[in-house]
Amino acid sequence: MAYSEKVVDHFNNPRNMGSFKKEEDGVGTGIVGAPECGDVMKLQIKVQNDMIVDAKFKTFGCGSAIASSSLATEWLKGKTVEEAGKIKNTEIVQELNLPPVKIHCSVLAEDAIKAALADYKKKEDGKETIK
Amino acid sequence: MDQVAKVSRSRTELQMARSMCWHCQSEVAGEYFCEQCVKVQPLSKDQDYFTCLGLPRLLTIDTNALENKFYEMSRSFHPDFYQTKTDIERTISLGNSALLNTAYRTLKDPVQRAEYLVRLEAGSVKEIRNHPPADLFEEILSLQDDLEEFRAASSQPSADLTQLQAKLQSDRETLEQRQREMESRLFDLFETWDRVQIQAQPTESIRSKKESVLKEMRELLSNRTYVRNIVNDLVATVG
Repeated sequence: MAYSEKVVDHFNNPRNMGSFKKEEDGVGTGIVGAPECGDVMKLQIKVQNDMIVDAKFKTFGCGSAIASSSLATEWLKGKTVEEAGKIKNTEIVQELNLPPVKIHCSVLAEDAIKAALADYKKKEDGKETIK
Repeated sequence: MDQVAKVSRSRTELQMARSMCWHCQSEVAGEYFCEQCVKVQPLSKDQDYFTCLGLPRLLTIDTNALENKFYEMSRSFHPDFYQTKTDIERTISLGNSALLNTAYRTLKDPVQRAEYLVRLEAGSVKEIRNHPPADLFEEILSLQDDLEEFRAASSQPSADLTQLQAKLQSDRETLEQRQREMESRLFDLFETWDRVQIQAQPTESIRSKKESVLKEMRELLSNRTYVRNIVNDLVATVG
């Protein structure tokens, strides 16, 4: 089975690979894994005034998982926190032309986005209670 | 052993719904060949691999008996014996052989067998996703960072890699040990599963025991997969 051109492109030129310091203000971190294949994905967002100004990822897994998270970081940038929560794995499947056996990679990316947003919100809520 | 045989029989009866021979329309009930017209019958696609190989849904398997059963069935269905038969029979032979091969390959390997059983039983366990092992993920990410550093450094001829290499090699050994421990725990659970599975009348406490065994097996299996992946990466990069 061949990867689609878009997957290969993201795999060869991953966008936004890297990481932020977890403790940094406005950073939300999501780490998720796919128990079936053992892929691990870390996705981080940096939020300023409710807007995602930057996003980074590190994924250890197959090409589709790397492409899904790379694409996710591209889409996240410039979105509000609320908009980001609406990204669906099916949109990733469509954009990357993922075959049925690789759909779980896009699910992993959606889970990572959700986890990062939840972590960000938790950090923000924590701040408010301190104030 | 009697109990096992009983479970096996009742399950087989349950799954082998009576149906009709595709050729002569006489009643067949799971036989490989129609008793009337002796034509080969398709194995039901709905039957699980245990049923396919005539086994109860237990995790401790006599691998010799499994192998014998597989060879016996292979002889019945092998496409080589159907070359001169009709299209329908050739198709059935291919389909049956494919199902049989997959079933045998899956059940032969204890880890794959456990993964398959957990998947089969997943419907009976409420919580589909186990909570992600956050500590293990952190550990894997930090090891991957070390690996990246190692890869980057090894492209520079002057770099001294001995220290990092020694660290990564010892990490690899620790992880391999952990993988072995997980597997041995998993195999311990085989016996527990079999013990609850052969109970004729499932009570509430047996049902909850089954659930907890399945949950623990699933957790072990997925954590083992994460560990195995990072071990493979370590072996490939550092040796």
